[in-house]
Amino acid sequence: MITINSLVKHRRKQEILSGISFKARPGRVTGFLGPNGAGKSSTLRILLGLDRATSGSALINGKPFAELDNPLTRVGAALDGAGAHRMRTGRAHLCWIARAAGLPRARVEEVLEITGLTNAAGKRVGSYSLGMGKRLGMAAALLGDPEILVLDEPVNGLDPEGIRWIRTFLRTRAESGNTVLLSSHLMGELAETVDDVVIIKQGQIVADGTLAEVIGKHPTLEEAYFALTTEYPGENV
Amino acid sequence: MKVSFNRRLLRIFAAELEKLATLPTIRFNLMAAFMLNLVLAAAFTSAGLQGAAGTQAILNTGLASMEYLQTGFIVLGVLSACSEYTGGQIRTTLTVMPWRGLLLSAKLLVLALVTVPAAFIIAGSGILYSFFMMKETAAGIEIGTVISSLTGATGYLTLTTLLSAAISIVLRRSTPAMVVLLSYYFIVSPLTMGILPGISHYFPDRAGYYMYTPFTFAEADALTALQGTGLSLSWTLMFISAAIGLYRRRDA
Repeated sequence: MITINSLVKHRRKQEILSGISFKARPGRVTGFLGPNGAGKSSTLRILLGLDRATSGSALINGKPFAELDNPLTRVGAALDGAGAHRMRTGRAHLCWIARAAGLPRARVEEVLEITGLTNAAGKRVGSYSLGMGKRLGMAAALLGDPEILVLDEPVNGLDPEGIRWIRTFLRTRAESGNTVLLSSHLMGELAETVDDVVIIKQGQIVADGTLAEVIGKHPTLEEAYFALTTEYPGENV
Repeated sequence: MKVSFNRRLLRIFAAELEKLATLPTIRFNLMAAFMLNLVLAAAFTSAGLQGAAGTQAILNTGLASMEYLQTGFIVLGVLSACSEYTGGQIRTTLTVMPWRGLLLSAKLLVLALVTVPAAFIIAGSGILYSFFMMKETAAGIEIGTVISSLTGATGYLTLTTLLSAAISIVLRRSTPAMVVLLSYYFIVSPLTMGILPGISHYFPDRAGYYMYTPFTFAEADALTALQGTGLSLSWTLMFISAAIGLYRRRDA
């Protein structure tokens, strides 16, 4: 369970997050939506202990991220890009992560296989396409077979096959009782993947509920999203 | 299952060691430092053969390249620290090992463990080359003095690497870190020696100079090797403490 509680973040004199609260529950895929600069990435970064909150809390099973015993086996995170040095090979990148978490090398080969990177594992990350970089980030997130996945724009840059793979994969993870929190701006993809939706706009939560609740009377999630996040909803119709 | 502190520390050590070992630029940098140092040692030896003899000549010649050799170790410190900020690796590092103070301390310790043998071999190769080329003229070489100077040179290069890494962690980007460090070592420090000779001894590089320069060969107001080591170590620890303090508090 992920619990975001009254989270506030100030950067310089700007308020990035204005006391947001929501939960991502086990067994469900929670979509975290919002326009660029709304505060999605800041929220995920605070949740993962990368940034400090000005006030409020972001907890994983009741604990801040830094207090988790072996974080990789509890939370798999894939933020923007591969999160790897360009000069290192994909396999070498995964190997140091596995070593840091006390995982066997065999697990590296398993996640390379799962993400379809086995043939590219010996190449330097700098030569990877955007989609391959995403897959590498995903492979790192899956190394510890965690019960919680936190993914920032996971389908961005993936080809149609990759998008279908990740959709099926995330559904399977959630159906096994795992928690999945993902941010995205691709409404069509999200509507087919998520159970719950949280929409953020200018650092404030403007919608939080099941997919059906958030869509409400709107014909699609996209329509609901624009109605909730646009100053003048008609301009996007 | 709860992971003990020792096991956690061992895993961080192992991961950081693997990171260094699998970064090609680190290997290239050390190999380049080794080769260039030998070339410089050959050049200085060739010039030295026409001059003085004995232990002083061998040491002076073998360590004459230190001023240039330290650049390789400054680059080593910068590369090892700033590599975290390439490709967003810092995010991966901190989500796998979020214990920032422990992580950075272990990272610098691993860097020191890699640097010590590298510095010993590279600095030693220069002295060894000079010794073989000048042994005919080096009557009564004092092995104790040579070992002491080589140990000092190894220590100085290691502390320079750590200090460079600490400053790079504060700056996060390799270009500004290189500009700041190289400007200090090659412009500010030499200028200060001329302008403020009384206090320039206490700067990290000048204090470090006395770590590998035998006291008897140095100028009258020189520091002893122990004083030089103490001062150089203090500067390095001060920058490391500042880097750890900042690293723990700031957004990644």
